[in-house]
Amino acid sequence: MNRYRRYKGWLLFSPWILTFLIFWLFPLVYSFILSLTDYRLLSPDVDWIGLGNYTRLFSDSDFVASLKNSFIFVIGTIPFTTVIALFFAVLLNERFRGRTFFRAAYFMPSITAMVVIALIFSNLLARGGYVHLLAQMIGLDPPANGFLLSEKTALFSIMGMDIWMASGYYMLLFLGGLQTIPNELYEAGRIAGASRWQQFRYITLPMLKPVTLFIIVINSIKSFQVFVEIFVMTKGGPLNSTFTGVYFVYETGLRQFDFGYASAAAYILFAIIALASLIQFKLLKTGWTA
Amino acid sequence: MMTFRRILKYFILGVIFVIMVFPLFWMFALSLKSSGGGLTLENFTYIFSANKFGRYLFNSALVGLVVTAGNILFCFMCGYALARRRVIGEKIWFYTVLIVLMVPVHIVIIPIYILMNKLGMYDSYAALILPWLVNPIGIFLIRQYVSTLPVSLEEAARIDGAGEMRILFKIVMPLCRPALAILAIQVFMTNWNSFLFPFILTSSEQYRTLPVALALLLGYQSINWSQLMAGSVVAVIPILAVFLVFQKQIIAGITAGAFKQ
Repeated sequence: MNRYRRYKGWLLFSPWILTFLIFWLFPLVYSFILSLTDYRLLSPDVDWIGLGNYTRLFSDSDFVASLKNSFIFVIGTIPFTTVIALFFAVLLNERFRGRTFFRAAYFMPSITAMVVIALIFSNLLARGGYVHLLAQMIGLDPPANGFLLSEKTALFSIMGMDIWMASGYYMLLFLGGLQTIPNELYEAGRIAGASRWQQFRYITLPMLKPVTLFIIVINSIKSFQVFVEIFVMTKGGPLNSTFTGVYFVYETGLRQFDFGYASAAAYILFAIIALASLIQFKLLKTGWTA
Repeated sequence: MMTFRRILKYFILGVIFVIMVFPLFWMFALSLKSSGGGLTLENFTYIFSANKFGRYLFNSALVGLVVTAGNILFCFMCGYALARRRVIGEKIWFYTVLIVLMVPVHIVIIPIYILMNKLGMYDSYAALILPWLVNPIGIFLIRQYVSTLPVSLEEAARIDGAGEMRILFKIVMPLCRPALAILAIQVFMTNWNSFLFPFILTSSEQYRTLPVALALLLGYQSINWSQLMAGSVVAVIPILAVFLVFQKQIIAGITAGAFKQ
């Protein structure tokens, strides 16, 4: 009876075992094996080339440039997204009329499809689009053909859009964190004569450490994988200025069908992401000045 | 002094509101603009007649609903098996969640592309549906929920002679409705908006979903901004409707950490 019930338990659980093995574990292993070969679509024979793809990547200027762009993207968006999201959360934490309404409105960009957001901003950032007009109005000197067609502004424009889009989502995570802070802490702070700023600085910020860590790690993983907005808005251009790591994998793997080479690039990115997460964990765990 | 503070707060909130909502407002406005400048629905009729938006909408809905139904059924089965300790190695299975969360999708893109081609499933509904029928975050959401339910109900039913299937689907599943609702909303929204895999695993218009169609249409001479925005509105409205109806659950779910994307 017991054995029979166990067997049925595994049967119940089998959908995830199968899905995990076929669509996660197998691709992970297969992609690593591919990265050690020169496998291309339509190439008659496949050879082991060891770490050949990896060494070739580091002398490939396109790949190095794509890594640089990915780093700019991650380092340039995360501090802004985090601070803005925290600002929104603090603003919308206390009870007041319209709180739910504003929360929902700020969160709305996060539920909209990235493709749609990218289309809307392609329009707004183009020559004569509202963002372009606004920049002219306040006396900035935007590129004549629109923000996305200049290699000086394309990447930063997409980064700005991503900050705009993601802030609402991380705001909700911060709100979750704020709710876990016990009210007694603030009361004690008030009794000790702490100002609002001091309360924020010495109670709120330290208590939000775990959520902040989570947000930064999750957001880094996501931002290293930026693809959809690049594909829709610039296709990596102009002059490779928005050519990011994952775009490189797509371009070499699924447009030039250089599977082995693209897989090696994917693994290097994976290693960077894993390493970055690890460093963030270590840094934020120890070096938090509270 | 207090009122000044309040006015200032609402002013700041209002400015941010305009910044956050204007792009979506602009999408709606453009989609309703006729070539002459007035209001019109002609952009919508155009994309449904000149482009195959009817087909794309159907594909998105079909894939979204099948994937959501699959997740309700399979996440429930798996979550239940874990919660009632019918499967050993819970720790190991928890690590699979971390793997799925941490592994960048671009690593699995190429192998899955090759796999789907080898299996003859490239450019089919199967390619759009099969990989996403169950997800580990959903499994652990259900596991958590089932663990809070008393086992006595199931035991009583078993003593009464109820079969395994009956206990599972007639007794436990209805009790899990709140958790299953959160799961369904989350899965549907993610799947409806997804671009990368549908884009890579299909090539013909027959299996194209709305986000893929929209991304590929940008830059075509035959389509203008108003028509593109009309297509975007078609892609956004179902999500907006789901959001407006289930706003409370969605926002509460994320703030409580019930679903992290």
